[in-house]
Amino acid sequence: MAALPKRIIKETERLISDPVPGITAYPDEANLRAFTVTMNGPDSSPYEKGIFDLELYLPDDYPMCPPKVRFLTKIYHPNIDKLGRICLDVLKDNWSPALQIRTILLSIQALLASPNPDDPLANDVADDWKKDEPKAIEVAKEWTAKYAKAKE
Amino acid sequence: MGNTAGKEARPRSNTYSSTSSTLNSYDINRRNTIFGNVNDYKKSRKQEERDRQREDHYSKLIVKYDQTVDGGYLAPFGTYKSNLDFNVDIVRELIIQRKLAPFYTPLQDFDDDWTEDELLKILSQLTLHSIEIAYDDEEIDDIDDHKIHKSSNFYKRQEQKMKLKLLMEKIKSLQKDEENKFFDIKLEGKDDNLPSKDLLLKLYKNPIECPICFLYYPNNLNLSRCCLQPICTECFVQIKRLDPHPPHDQQEQSQGNELPHTLISEPSNCPYCAMNDFGVIFEKDLDIKTGISGIKPGTYHNDLIHDPTQDNINEIKDDLKNLNIESSEVFSSSPSSSPLKASPIKSPTPASQKEESLREKRRRRSSIPANSPKVITIDQIRPDWELKLASAKSKLARKSAAASAIHASNLIINPSTDLAEYDTRRRNSNSNTRFQTIEDRMIEEALRLSIIDEEERVRRQGTPQSESSNNT
Ligand SMILES: [Zn+2]
Ligand SMILES: [Zn+2]
Repeated sequence: MAALPKRIIKETERLISDPVPGITAYPDEANLRAFTVTMNGPDSSPYEKGIFDLELYLPDDYPMCPPKVRFLTKIYHPNIDKLGRICLDVLKDNWSPALQIRTILLSIQALLASPNPDDPLANDVADDWKKDEPKAIEVAKEWTAKYAKAKE
Repeated sequence: MGNTAGKEARPRSNTYSSTSSTLNSYDINRRNTIFGNVNDYKKSRKQEERDRQREDHYSKLIVKYDQTVDGGYLAPFGTYKSNLDFNVDIVRELIIQRKLAPFYTPLQDFDDDWTEDELLKILSQLTLHSIEIAYDDEEIDDIDDHKIHKSSNFYKRQEQKMKLKLLMEKIKSLQKDEENKFFDIKLEGKDDNLPSKDLLLKLYKNPIECPICFLYYPNNLNLSRCCLQPICTECFVQIKRLDPHPPHDQQEQSQGNELPHTLISEPSNCPYCAMNDFGVIFEKDLDIKTGISGIKPGTYHNDLIHDPTQDNINEIKDDLKNLNIESSEVFSSSPSSSPLKASPIKSPTPASQKEESLREKRRRRSSIPANSPKVITIDQIRPDWELKLASAKSKLARKSAAASAIHASNLIINPSTDLAEYDTRRRNSNSNTRFQTIEDRMIEEALRLSIIDEEERVRRQGTPQSESSNNT
């Protein structure tokens, strides 16, 4: 494997030495560009008390290209589809090389706190959300309890 | 653009053979052979020219120890191995003119507690280029990969790949030679092209971390024109327009059905504050003029400068004066509205209080417009972006024209539809008329663009314009 750029080494070190509250991110031993991430659902959101697994991968062109991030835990959210793909501008065209793994994970956590059904990725979920928000929130809570339980 | 000549030759020779029935077949064959040879010759000449340009491009990415500007170099250290398709001649010239910071050799780490001797020892071990990262054996980013007109011929592509691989090996070995020369000369310690200790300390004593690559550089970097954040030249040349693409709202729905004229390529935003039209200024925080159009780096001594701090203050005073003159062109935009503004960027190295307050003063300035002569934009170092966009549009137009032609001929051959029926249907049905109009427009557009394309090609080759009008 090609040598790891200093930036990735430093980001990893800083993530571990100064972790983001409610988020853990560790590189895989076999591939230091691949991270296993857990994220606590934000308080007073339908995802509260849930612990979500994600995977994050830094492509060769990182930081000129955004990291690839995906939810592994099933989640009911208008901007996250069945495959766990996330619709978030900073993961696409609004990516900037000055952003970091840390800032991206914080943005995803913020997306959990404020779903945006007007810019959906999961159209069916977004439709539910727009038609009957309280009911959609109930479903999101149910899914959280069912799939994102804290591991004993 | 590589196959334009070939494509055009075919219909031309066909017309020739069908209209001039009086010629015997020997003549026709002979003429065709001549046409063919001329085209092959033209093609191979063009290919040779492209190979030559590519070799020239890559050879200018070799870091040479005796080509320095203010303690930095004219070519990148090799932190990135892709996106090296910037215009090397323009970037070299901007560095020599001190309009862009030179490519400094980065320090991977820095510790304030290092003594001068420790720092000098680390500096003496630095190489010119990070060969192993930049030229490792995995897929090499070919500058031709981003060209719109790639060869459709697989074998030809393989041949090109092989050529590129050989070229990269050659460049790598040339860089190694340069590295060995640098090493030997450092041992001898007699060459004035090597930086003096004073120069090294001046450069690296209070380095700053580039917020994008996280490497440490002399505090003499480019600043973003909008929010005055530092960016090393190696990161700056990485930032470029995205390749031509359809506008976002259409991207998902209309895969493969894009209308050529809607393709776009937007300028990049500032990575720090997201302001559009990213550009940098270089204000030379360090008072050094060595290397090209300066004194020999080896002869730089601190005592040559009466009071560096005073110089620095004067420089910034001058600077602020200049800024007042320019203040009419300075517009006050609000980068604070951007979500990116929150990203923490700070220099980890504490500078002296005086420097800190000067920098603070500068930081409170408003942004400098992208068209100011001081500003270097990303388009300036990749001036071929317009050509790329035009050529992407014409390629897409040709593709849709070809698809439409196939579609139309399918309708004609279809046994249930004779030509007349097709014609009436085309006239009567509303939707078909609309479709036909789009189709016609596309073919028109394709023709128009391929004419532009051809003219562009001819213009670039420096051939007289009249020749291209004869062709069409
Ligand atoms: Zn940098
Ligand atoms: Zn900015």
